[in-house]
Amino acid sequence: MPSERELQISPIVQESLMHNARTLQNLQSLTASLFGVSAGILGLESYSGFLFYIVFSLITSALFYAARVAPTSISSGKAPLDTSRYFVGAVEFWTGGLMSGLAGFILTWTLFYGLVSA
Amino acid sequence: MTLISKAITGIGGLLLAHACYSAQEHSALQSFRATSTATLTSSSAVSTSLPIDIVLETIVSTFIILLGLVLGTRPLRPIEWRVWAGKIEREGEDGFKDRNGEVNKDYVGNPFGIFESRPNFVDIRKQRKEFAEWVKNGEGQQGR
Repeated sequence: MPSERELQISPIVQESLMHNARTLQNLQSLTASLFGVSAGILGLESYSGFLFYIVFSLITSALFYAARVAPTSISSGKAPLDTSRYFVGAVEFWTGGLMSGLAGFILTWTLFYGLVSA
Repeated sequence: MTLISKAITGIGGLLLAHACYSAQEHSALQSFRATSTATLTSSSAVSTSLPIDIVLETIVSTFIILLGLVLGTRPLRPIEWRVWAGKIEREGEDGFKDRNGEVNKDYVGNPFGIFESRPNFVDIRKQRKEFAEWVKNGEGQQGR
């Protein structure tokens, strides 16, 4: 997080911040349900299902970075894997979807597990 | 962009539905085989795990849908004020179009636009004189 002084020197646009966060969150909640479908079809149980979810969420973040953040961010002089052009916190960007998408993941995971192996 | 992402997501969805159906059929076949062998010979029930092609199809289709969804997200906006204002100044409305080519509803334009048109500073006498000149010339042209 930037300090108060840095915020005064280079202010932040709240609307853009919210727009970016909402875009990322929409994607993550959609894909979390999708991963639940896949995990249910594969018939994963207990830890392997959660591991599947974590791995695919990180892949989602990486793909989103590659498709949306990287082209303009790197050309504007930021280092690779630096998301500070569009997001305030790096940890929030890479792992923020893990908790918010978990409920949807478990919902569709259990649903499709029951549908397939019933 | 939008058509490509929708097409990719659709193809992935079809593959995923096929994988789901295959897995369901496989499990139904397993349970059927288990009951038939149990009634015939009562030997050990064979329960094989999911075939490798269904596993691969599921994972590949997940990746395809994921790619389609990521490509379908809206473009991001820079959060630093100077970068954002510079983008508005350079690109105007073109930089804030969504996937359908329409300008976003919450696009506010130049944040300093209020400073660029100030009616209080208009030289009204000069404009009045110019208008009078224009009327005079127009009258002269019409009278000819």
